[in-house]
Amino acid sequence: MTVALDEIARYMRMDRELPEGALAERVEKLRKEGLAAVRTACSWRRFPISDGAISSGGVTLDIHGKLARHLEGCDSAYLVCGTLGPGFDAFQRRASVVSGADALIAQAVGAALIEKYMDSLEDEIRGELGEGESLVERYSPGYGDFPLSAQTSLLALLDARRKAGIALTDTLLMVPSKSVSAVIGVRKGE
Amino acid sequence: MKNFFLETTGMFFLDGGMGTQLQLRGLEPGEIPELWNLRRPGDVRAVHEAYYAAGSNAVYANTFGANGEKYHGDAPLRDVVFAGVAIAREAASNVGGRRFVALDVAPTGRLLKPSGDFEFDAAYDAFAEEVRLGAEAGVDFIAIETMSDSYELKAAVLAAKENSDLPILATVALGDDGKLLTGANVECVAAMLEGLRVDAIGLNCGLGPDRMLEHVKRLASFTSLPVAVKPNAGMPQVVDGRTVFTVGPEEFARDVASLVDAGATIVGGCCGTTPAHIKAVHDLLASRPVAERAMPRPSAFVTSGSRVVEIPLEDTIVIGERINPTGKKKLKAALAEGDVAYVLREAVSQADAGAHILDVNVGVPGLDEPAVLDSTIQAIQSVTDLPLQIDTSDPRALERALRHYNGKALVNSVNGKEESLNAVLPLVAKYGGAVVALTLDEAGIPPTAEGRLAIAKKILARGAEYGLKPSDFVIDVLCLAVSADPNSANVILDALGRVKTELGCRTCLGVSNISFGLPARPLLTATFYTMAMARGLSAGIVNPLSSDMMAAYRAYRALCAKDPACGEWIEAFKDWTPAAGGVAAGQARGATQGGASDGDALSAAIRKGLKSDASAEAKLAIANGVAPLDIIGNSIVPALEVVGKGFESGKMFLPQLLMAAEAAGAAFDVVRASMPPQDASSVKGPIVMATVKGDIHDIGKNICRALLENYGFKVIDLGRDVAPETVVEAAKREKARLVGLSALMTTTVGAMEETVRLVHEQVPGCLVTVGGAVLTADYAAKIGADSYSRDAMGLVRYAEKIFA
Repeated sequence: MTVALDEIARYMRMDRELPEGALAERVEKLRKEGLAAVRTACSWRRFPISDGAISSGGVTLDIHGKLARHLEGCDSAYLVCGTLGPGFDAFQRRASVVSGADALIAQAVGAALIEKYMDSLEDEIRGELGEGESLVERYSPGYGDFPLSAQTSLLALLDARRKAGIALTDTLLMVPSKSVSAVIGVRKGE
Repeated sequence: MKNFFLETTGMFFLDGGMGTQLQLRGLEPGEIPELWNLRRPGDVRAVHEAYYAAGSNAVYANTFGANGEKYHGDAPLRDVVFAGVAIAREAASNVGGRRFVALDVAPTGRLLKPSGDFEFDAAYDAFAEEVRLGAEAGVDFIAIETMSDSYELKAAVLAAKENSDLPILATVALGDDGKLLTGANVECVAAMLEGLRVDAIGLNCGLGPDRMLEHVKRLASFTSLPVAVKPNAGMPQVVDGRTVFTVGPEEFARDVASLVDAGATIVGGCCGTTPAHIKAVHDLLASRPVAERAMPRPSAFVTSGSRVVEIPLEDTIVIGERINPTGKKKLKAALAEGDVAYVLREAVSQADAGAHILDVNVGVPGLDEPAVLDSTIQAIQSVTDLPLQIDTSDPRALERALRHYNGKALVNSVNGKEESLNAVLPLVAKYGGAVVALTLDEAGIPPTAEGRLAIAKKILARGAEYGLKPSDFVIDVLCLAVSADPNSANVILDALGRVKTELGCRTCLGVSNISFGLPARPLLTATFYTMAMARGLSAGIVNPLSSDMMAAYRAYRALCAKDPACGEWIEAFKDWTPAAGGVAAGQARGATQGGASDGDALSAAIRKGLKSDASAEAKLAIANGVAPLDIIGNSIVPALEVVGKGFESGKMFLPQLLMAAEAAGAAFDVVRASMPPQDASSVKGPIVMATVKGDIHDIGKNICRALLENYGFKVIDLGRDVAPETVVEAAKREKARLVGLSALMTTTVGAMEETVRLVHEQVPGCLVTVGGAVLTADYAAKIGADSYSRDAMGLVRYAEKIFA
């Protein structure tokens, strides 16, 4: 897995190409170190949606509001989570000790990489789909009115701690911090 | 406690997968497996019986998730554990023969600090409760399994040791790359577990038996403990949306036989394995004689959470000495003020310079040493993977630090005094570790090599009483200044050689003491360092930021065949140019640019964000006699003005602003160093900063801190996830006029509001500014903040106004 310098620049909220010079060199250096710190892990599984929820083994993930509208016409969905691993967090902590610029760049490298990784997982999932099925866009807890509290059941349904090493803090943040969880609906026919 | 596994002659057979067996009987994803102990006991018992019948000597009770942190079922935990153990016992008596039951202890499901927010002590408590229940319910041994974080593993082992007398089998789950989730390899895990004195160690889950082979070979050649394996039935594959394991019993048994050939004697299976797999393994191996394993030579290993370092007998390593306040004013001040960032920068810079282990000493009078040492070590371990040397003379501080240390530490130190031996050796025996032994006793430091050797021998003998091996000790023959005793170096070198040849022990030395009281100390120290390495010094405690010391270290290794093809030497010195009579590198470079010392070159370096150039230009300007205040007023401040405006107008971006500010900071440091001390108080502040309670996103706060510091403000950084009371305490103590709070999540704005309220209530006159992704100026006003900082530059502008 790798990521282009300009993509990292976008995550530093730079709306143009990375200017050559000291900054570009620093980004290049941190991209290399960041990639060396990545250990991706993931878990995903397809669940049927029934009565406005995904439910298994006594764990229920409610699907309502904007998410329900987003999943209109889907009678099943993939739950998915992926992470760059705790080593990447350590890399980010180290960078932020060294300098503010390094902290910012490391953060952008991580944001670009996890996005790439989630895209690659989505591609893998797409390969599993049946005839005439397609995926709708990823939808994550904390987005729109899909509450952060949904993380608890979403990650439990995926056995995320054991399979991907992703856990939740008391305040429902995913750790390692460069982790993403999502619901991806499966639509039949076009 | 007897080693249960060593007593068992021949192979010891464990059970196979439990979770996957229960799934076949209807357990659904998300369901709590342990509740089946109460609701479907017949199914759980049937699985145990099938394993015993297949040949398992022991089964794991169905208690994998039965720790208070993970378990959230509607029946009491006690009932779940007791029922689980009772079911396994029933199965054992139903099948007959001598059968054992293990308490299954597995991860809490939480991620420990520093990656997560879960405290080591809380993990310990959860495991301790489960262990006490299991011991009371009558298990035969504790099986800690599927651990993917060595720190959580340590909490589980300590809980097992301190809450039962039962034997401990500890196994970890490796990823594809042969490492734990948190980065430790098998050697790293094994060194820590041997130090903690578990009874058997091994691998379970994660990999199939074929992929385990390489790691089992390495484990068996590293440890002298019995080795256990519980592989999965191959790698999981998804078929029709279901996870399946495809390696059948015969193939599994053949692969497990290879693991036995590699040294494993305790065997079973994990996910996807069935009674048929265990039967196949048992049929193939039960009657096979167990081959004698070649045991590794004991050595001294210390570890962090993800790195293992050997203190070598035939080579030498560097212990960084800089985190020790003795004679270091800045560090002393940083420790006294709780300025963790300063200490962390010292740690990272020593690691980058090539140190292998870092000494950590926080002995400042008036400081709560046990608390500060503990928190400092945890903070350092969050930014570097180097193992640490815990340096304290306070046994309470040592115990607390050893307990919370992630890995197996180097303890500095024990000496020949009774008081020290009695206090330190039991702690090393309990928590594991290598220990530095100082060759002094009640009578002081013996003047001869002979005398120092005698004390070393006494310490080794006392260590043996606690089960410590000579390889657990690193002998420090003590470095005394050659200015005080002309024979000092000779005695030290003689003692170093004799410790190695006569005792077979490793050595360390605080090298720089040798030149105390003499001019040109680096030259003398580096030469002595070389001589000591040539006499067998295992670990020099030196300043890795000193180019003289690191050159001596690298030269010794290149010259004595420790650096194959001189690769490290070449890497370190490929850009080396001879220094002409001590002229700064910047001077030569500056001269080629037409000797620009009027500040333009410095301004340009800052604007371009070139840190080392900015520093060199500042040095050049000082050397050329430019007044410090003129350098600041004519070069540094105008350059910062330009980039600040460029950022505000959208011409420059945040990373460029930050790099420019860092270059300015580097120049400031040079200028400040050349100013008389009273002028150096041009620092503004202090400003207390924190990411609020419950929030672990500290990047925004860190960027603000860096920028403020580079603009000449003093910042007291309290870190992330900081309680309101802690902020108030710091603001009072520092008499701060400004507090900056950051929060990224909507869920933590409540904590921010509470902090603002408490500061206003208890620290009159102190202003609070807030920032972070979810905040707006309106929102900031609503929660009572005095100002809203849109970004780091905005905060600097606000602070400039407050401290104008």
